[in-house]
Amino acid sequence: MRPDQHDLDEEIRGHLALSIKERIERGEDPTSARLAALKEFGNVTLTRDSMRGVWRHRWLDAAEALARDIRFALRALLHAKGLAATVVVTLALGIGANAAIFSVVRGVLLRPLVNRDEDRLIYIRQSAPGLGAENTTFSVPELNDLKSRVTTISAFGDFSTVDFAMVGLGGEPRMVKAGVVGGSFFDVMGLRPVLGRLLNEHDDGPKAAGAAVLTYRFWTTSLNSDPTVIGKTVRLGPRTATVVGVLEPSVPYPADTEIIANVVTSPHHLGATMVTSRVHRMTELFGRLAPGASLEAARAELTAVHAGMMREHPEAYSAKADVQLRVTKLRDQIASPARTILLVLLAAAAVVFVIACSNVANLILARSVRREGELAVRAALGAGSGALRRTLLAESLVLCGAGAVLGVVLARPLVAMVARYAARFSVRALEVTVDPSVLWIGAGLAMAAAVLLAYVPRLPSPHAPAGLGLTSGSVRITPGTNRRLRMFATTQIAFSFVLLAGAGMLLATLVAMQTASTGYNMRQVLAFDIPASVTSLGDAKAINFYQEATRGISRLPGVEGVAVGSFVPWRDAGSLGPGFQFTVEGYKPADGEENPRARMRMVAPRFFAVLGVPLLAGRDFTDDDRRGTEPVTIVSQSIAQRLFPNGDAVNRHLTWTDPVFAIFGKPVPSRIVGVVADVDDENVVPGPALTVYQPAWQIGVAGRLFVHATGDPYALVPAVTRVIREISADQPVERAATLEDVRAEVLSPERLNAFVFSGFAGIALLIAVVGVAGVLAFSVSARTREFGIRLAVGSAPRQLLGRVLSEGAQIAAIGIAAGAAGGYGLARVAASFFGHVQLPGALPVMGAAAVLIGAAVVASLMPAARASRVDVLQALRSE
Amino acid sequence: MTKHPDEQRLELLQGTLDMLILRTLQWGPQHGHGIGQAIRARSDELLKVETGSLYPALHRLVKRGWLKPEWGVSEANQRAKYYRLTTAGKAQLSREQDRWSQLVDAIGRIMNPAPASKE
Repeated sequence: MRPDQHDLDEEIRGHLALSIKERIERGEDPTSARLAALKEFGNVTLTRDSMRGVWRHRWLDAAEALARDIRFALRALLHAKGLAATVVVTLALGIGANAAIFSVVRGVLLRPLVNRDEDRLIYIRQSAPGLGAENTTFSVPELNDLKSRVTTISAFGDFSTVDFAMVGLGGEPRMVKAGVVGGSFFDVMGLRPVLGRLLNEHDDGPKAAGAAVLTYRFWTTSLNSDPTVIGKTVRLGPRTATVVGVLEPSVPYPADTEIIANVVTSPHHLGATMVTSRVHRMTELFGRLAPGASLEAARAELTAVHAGMMREHPEAYSAKADVQLRVTKLRDQIASPARTILLVLLAAAAVVFVIACSNVANLILARSVRREGELAVRAALGAGSGALRRTLLAESLVLCGAGAVLGVVLARPLVAMVARYAARFSVRALEVTVDPSVLWIGAGLAMAAAVLLAYVPRLPSPHAPAGLGLTSGSVRITPGTNRRLRMFATTQIAFSFVLLAGAGMLLATLVAMQTASTGYNMRQVLAFDIPASVTSLGDAKAINFYQEATRGISRLPGVEGVAVGSFVPWRDAGSLGPGFQFTVEGYKPADGEENPRARMRMVAPRFFAVLGVPLLAGRDFTDDDRRGTEPVTIVSQSIAQRLFPNGDAVNRHLTWTDPVFAIFGKPVPSRIVGVVADVDDENVVPGPALTVYQPAWQIGVAGRLFVHATGDPYALVPAVTRVIREISADQPVERAATLEDVRAEVLSPERLNAFVFSGFAGIALLIAVVGVAGVLAFSVSARTREFGIRLAVGSAPRQLLGRVLSEGAQIAAIGIAAGAAGGYGLARVAASFFGHVQLPGALPVMGAAAVLIGAAVVASLMPAARASRVDVLQALRSE
Repeated sequence: MTKHPDEQRLELLQGTLDMLILRTLQWGPQHGHGIGQAIRARSDELLKVETGSLYPALHRLVKRGWLKPEWGVSEANQRAKYYRLTTAGKAQLSREQDRWSQLVDAIGRIMNPAPASKE
C-alpha cells in the first residue's frame, strides 16, 4: 500500500484547494488567497520528498550509506595506491586461478555428453592386471558371447582403431588413424550426422560397399567444412570407401580419429584371425542399458557372463593375467584419467587462494592499525561499531570487487591454458570455455573475502580510553596485532611450502626420467614411421621395398648406418601388447608357473649397431636370414641370464607358445644366434626387458626406419623422404624425430604437470614473499622508537639488521615446520581417498625449505636495512 | 478568535505531533488540511503544524498501522484523502497519553519542586 507519485500529488492538491476555499470564504480575493495558501504550505517538493522518505525501506537507507562509504573508500584508497594495487593483483591471481581451474573441472568432469540419453551409455573394458595391461580390448568371439548372453544391455557398439594410408582427401598420401565400426555403433552412441548419413546395419558384412564418415574436427580443420566432400571416394590402404556423412561434434572416444569406416574397408577385420581367434583382441565395446536396467544390474550380469566365458575357454585367459571386466558409464570413463590431476590442480588453486587471502588480510590489518587514529576519531564523533565496520567493509568491497573483476578477466587466458593442458588427459577439455558460472564464482569468492577481511581488524573499544589513539599520530602496535600479522605470514609460508615441495617432487621425477640412461644412441639416431600398409604387409614386394630403401639411404652423405625395425622406442609403447609367451629348449617352468613372456620385435641387419645397442655374444642378423632359410632369433641379456644361467644361450632353440599364434599352426623353434644388451623400449626409465628379436627379412616388416647421422640428423629428412618417394611415390614418410626428441615428446605430460604445478608454486612463493616483507616492514616502522633506544644504548646497526633478518627467517622456519606437518597429514588423508599418494623425497623437501628461507631472508633485507638506519634522535623524539 | 502574532506561537515539542494527530482523529476521519486546522483551532492558534511535518507524520502513522487512509470528497468538492484511526491507533493514543502525562508530571516536579516538608 505504498502511495505512488500521483497519490501524493493529489493529496497535496486537495490540501491547497481546501486552504484556498477557506481563504476565499473569509473574503480574500482568489489570486491572493492562492498565493497565501501556497506560502503557508511551504516548499511543495520538499514535503513530497520527505513523504516519500517515510515509505522507503530501511535497507535503502543502508545501501545509500554504503554507497557513501564506498565513495569515501575509493578516495581513501587513491592515497594508498601501492597497497591497493598489491591487494587487487594478489586477489586477482587467487580468484583467476580458481575460476579457471573450476571451469575446466566443470567442463571436463561434470558436463553431460552430447550423446542422446548419455546416462544410459556404458563402456565395457577388459583388462589383465596380472600382465600390466590396463586395456586388452575384446576379440570377436568374446563380443559374440557377450552379445548373445546379456539381457541388461539392449545394444552393443564396437569400435577398433586401425591406421590407414589414406589417399584422396586433401594433400599428400598420409597415415590416418581411423575407426572401424559395426553398423550398430552410431545408434548405440546416440550420435547424429551434421551432413549426409552415418553408418548403419546395411553397411555391415563383407559384401557392403566401403563407406566412411568424417569426424567433425577433421572436416572443419582439414577440409574447411567443404560440403561437396559427400560422395567422394578415398583410398584406404588397398581398399576404397565413399564418404557418406559428417559426424556431429562429440567427444572422440576411445580414439581421436579422422574418419570412421565400415568393416569392409579393413581386410584384416574380415580375415579368419579376426573372426575366429578368441585371443586376437582389438575391439572396444560400448553398450546401451536396456529399458529398466540399472548400471549395477548390467555390471553384475556382464561380470557373471564374462566369468562363464572364462571357464569355458581357459586357454584364452591365463590365470596369471588375472583377466577382469570393468563396466562404467561412458562419461565417467572419459573423465577418469583427468579426474585426479584436475582435483589436484583444484586443491593447488584453493591453496593459492588461501595464501592470497591471508596476504591480503595481512595488508588490510596493517593498514587498519595505521588507521586506528582515524577510527578513534570517528568513534569519538559518534560512529557506532556498525558504522565503523561498514567503513571497513566498503573498503574491502572495493578492493575485492576490483580483484574479482581483474581475476575474471585473467580467467579467460588461464582457462585456455589449463584446457590445453588438461586435453592431454581428457579430450573433453578441448571444448572448455569460460562459462558464466565463473563470474558467479569470482563474485562469490570476492564477497567471501571482503566480508572476512572487514572482520579482521580490531575496532577501537568503546570502553577503553580513546585519548591515546586520538592524540598520538604515530602507529602503535599491540602484541595481539603483531601476533596476528605473523600468523598470517606463517600460514602463507606453510601453504607455499606444500606447493613448492609438490612442484619439487614433480621436477625431480621429470629430471630423473629425462636423464636416465637408456642404452640407446639418443642424439644421432633419427626414427621414421614408414608404414607398410600401402605395399601390403609381409610379402616379398614389401621386403624388397625396405631393402631398396635401406641401400638408397645408406648411400646418402652424412649417413653412418640405416636399419629397419618395427618399434620406435617409447613412441610405440603399448602398441604390441603385453608380450607373448615363449619357451626355450630345456626350460621347465616351476609348478603353477606359466611360460615367461617376452616382447617381440622385428629388426633388420645392423639395427643394433645403428641404435648403439652392444652385441654381447654371437652374431647380428644378416641379409642371408631371409624367407626360406633357418629360423633364427636374437635375445636380450635378461632372457639369456634368466633362462640360461650357464651362459650358453647361443645356438639353443626358442619357441613361441602364446595362444595368439595358434592360428598359424604348430610353432616352429628358432635358433638363438646372438645376445644383445637390455634396452627398455616401453618405459623411459628402463627396467629389465625380456625381448626377443626376429629378423625382419624372415618374418615380415613393420614399418619403422632408423638412420644414424654423422651431422645434424634433421638435415637428412628431405633426402631420406626423396629416396623413399623415388622408390614408391605413394609411400607416407612421417614423424621424423631423434630418439632424444621422442623421449621428450613422450614425457611432455610429465613436463606439463611439473610446469603447471611450478606455476602455482611460483605464484604462491611470490605472494608469500610479499607477505613476509610486508609484515616485517610494518613491524619495523612501528618499532622505530624501540630501535632508536637500542641504538642509543649501544647496539650496533649490524646487530639490528641481523635481528630483523632472523625474525624473517624465524617466520619462514615456523611456516615450513607447519607446512611439513600439515602436508604430511594431508597426504595421509589423501591416501585414504586415492589409494597411493607419492610423498616427495628428501631433496625436493630440502630444496623447497631452502628456497623459502632464502626468499624470506631476501624479503626481510629491505625492512632490516631500514631498521639499522634509524636516526636515533628522530626516533626518540617521535613521541 | 484572537490572532496571535507569530512570535507567540509555540514550537511543537518533538514527538508530540503523532499524539496530537491521533487525538484529533478520535472525533472521526479527517483529511490532512482538516487535521492541521483542528490542531490550530483547539490550541487557540498557539500551535501551528507545518505541512512539511504534518504529511510525513501522517504517512509514518499509516505505515505503522495506526491510521488507515481512504479517499473521499472534501467540502471543496475535491477528492481528498481521509485518515481514520485504527484499533491499533487507539491503543497507541492511550499509551502516548499516559506517557505524556507522566512526562508533564515529571517536568512539573522539576520546575516547581514541592517543599520538602510537605512529604
